[in-house]
Amino acid sequence: MTDHSDLRQAADEAAAAVQIRGLTTVLNGKTIFDALDLDIPRGKVTAIMGPSGTGKTTLLKHITGQMRGDAGQVLVDGQNVPKLSREKLFRLREGIGFLFQNSALLTDFDVFENVAFPLRQHTRLPEVLIRDIVLTKLQAVGLRGAAKLMPSELSGGMARRVALARAIVFDPKLILYDEPFVGLDPIALNQVLKLIRTLNETLGITSVLVAHELSAVQQVADHIYLIANGKVVADGKPADIAQDGSPWTGQFFGGQADGPVPFHYPAGDYATELGLAGDAS
Amino acid sequence: MSAQAPRRNFLADGLAQIGDAGLFLPALLAALPRSFRYFRETVRQLWFVGAMSLTIIMTCGLFVGMVLALQLYHVLSIFGGTSSTGTVVALAVFRELGPVVTALLFAGRAGTSITAEIGLMRATDQLSAMEMMAVDPMAYVATPRFLAGIIAMPLLCSVFSLLAILGGHLVGVTWLGIDNGTFWSNMTANVDVWKDVIDGMLWKGLAFGGVVSLIAVHQGYTTPPTSEGVAYATTRTVVASSIAILAIDFVLTAFLM
Amino acid sequence: MTQRRSYAVGTGLFIVLGFLALAYLATQTTSLANFDEGSTYDLKARFTNIGQLKDRAPVKMAGVRIGSVKSIQFENDKLDALVTISVDKRFDQIPDDSSAAVLTSGLLGDQYIGIQPGGSPQNLKNGDTFILTQSAMQLEDLIGKFLVNGNGDKKSGDADSASKPAPDAGQ
Repeated sequence: MTDHSDLRQAADEAAAAVQIRGLTTVLNGKTIFDALDLDIPRGKVTAIMGPSGTGKTTLLKHITGQMRGDAGQVLVDGQNVPKLSREKLFRLREGIGFLFQNSALLTDFDVFENVAFPLRQHTRLPEVLIRDIVLTKLQAVGLRGAAKLMPSELSGGMARRVALARAIVFDPKLILYDEPFVGLDPIALNQVLKLIRTLNETLGITSVLVAHELSAVQQVADHIYLIANGKVVADGKPADIAQDGSPWTGQFFGGQADGPVPFHYPAGDYATELGLAGDAS
Repeated sequence: MSAQAPRRNFLADGLAQIGDAGLFLPALLAALPRSFRYFRETVRQLWFVGAMSLTIIMTCGLFVGMVLALQLYHVLSIFGGTSSTGTVVALAVFRELGPVVTALLFAGRAGTSITAEIGLMRATDQLSAMEMMAVDPMAYVATPRFLAGIIAMPLLCSVFSLLAILGGHLVGVTWLGIDNGTFWSNMTANVDVWKDVIDGMLWKGLAFGGVVSLIAVHQGYTTPPTSEGVAYATTRTVVASSIAILAIDFVLTAFLM
Repeated sequence: MTQRRSYAVGTGLFIVLGFLALAYLATQTTSLANFDEGSTYDLKARFTNIGQLKDRAPVKMAGVRIGSVKSIQFENDKLDALVTISVDKRFDQIPDDSSAAVLTSGLLGDQYIGIQPGGSPQNLKNGDTFILTQSAMQLEDLIGKFLVNGNGDKKSGDADSASKPAPDAGQ
């Protein structure tokens, strides 16, 4: 699976919203990405999956420029993110929606003001217009009635939908979802799932999804990347990827405890450590 | 955590904290022009940091003045100098107790809430969310709180000192029977507006306000994003602020004398 | 928006309260409270020795504060100290043969200028100079004199008395 980018590069060059080329990141001596290549096609839902600790969230932070890699390029709409100035980066981010894992609503403001926050910061729109935009977005996520609640009064699923309303308030071309399904009951999970699909289908928003829930991802994603050890180890359509035969997909989608990702954290010889090795004493 | 946790070197840790906070200050000041856009936020923080501290400041000011008058009356009566009670209360409050006690209370009341609030915003990704919404959290969150602390402290100092003198008057004149005219005239004859009131309230107030809010904002902003980290940072704000206040008080007093 | 408005009003109240407290402290508990600096007139007095007298020290008559020391200069030609004092306009009945003395409040207290009224029908006006002045009492000189007198050495005591505190004729 190492030559996937070369094969598709020519065909997808025009279509890719995000192109990652040779991205290498070392954090605290640990290699997170090792010359990673990855393309996010425009107008599609792309899922990025992988074992915990493989840097999926870090990858999203690279796309938004919150973190910079040690080498390689991250192209968003043809702009190389790590090289952008602060002003250009901020302008780029206004066109990107980001859904945080824990929603990250501002605790000081109620639901309405949270969704209105980006508008108030970046525009001088009249109050009536702000009200209309915010209520439209809240209606889209089904929470117009909750406009006056404070974030502390919301359930996890509601908070995530409010965060989603806030992320789309500027009608972004690209939305990044960081673990949108974590900690949700099946009802809330399906509501979020439906929203992701609706936003993608009706507005054509390019969506990037970081998640582990295979069944949920299969319902919504057009394409899945499996990342492990700093590289893409598998990619393909949701229906096909589980059958591609590599040990990584076998373990990840087959749900085996041991495999390329070992069950045991690296350790010395068990018998020696217990003092049972025959000739040790 | 466990016996295997590396031993902390407190001296090196302390120096690193001072250096880190020192490096944080230019970043804070660099965000100053950008934070003028968020003037409303500074006003709002002035409410939380300043106005919300008034109750504790006023109560403590009153009691400090009362206890000072009580103590001084008994000591001064040995020399037959009880008429100077008002003077000594005023000088002690203006020169030392007003700014120092206010700053210590401010660190406990407002400093901790600044650290905890920013720390929690860090832990719940609210700061990252702002970055993602193209709002600079340094200019929107950090600098307004820093400014509010600097503006609030001299005002709180003044309120504290006023209440302390009224407390001294209550005990000295109303309860212990010092003549009202003597109390005020001795005070007005010996207190100097520049050397005592302005040096104490304004310069010490501004310096302490700056130091406490710098420490509080820095601790909150750089806290590890865990509940443990926030708790630890809050404690550190109080400890570091208290030490800094008393150390700077000594240096400032030497300079202003 | 109403929520934000109430913060602004509360913060405004807080700032006004703080500045009122500062203004009260600055004007009512300090030497500024004693008299109105605006309506004063100046008088001059020459002393051979002013001791520890400082700028803004009080000027008292019959123990009541009527003004303050405005400036202290050394006069190169006359080799004495020229003290300018400002006196409140309300107290304009000081006879022109009054004397000014540098006195000490208590045994070790701060020094101030005390004015002894004379009996002349004419009053001192702005810019006038006191004819009679008395220099500061120097504790060291007093003690020295006492010791010298105690030894019965009257001669050196008398010779020393020229520099002793005694009414000096002002020029």
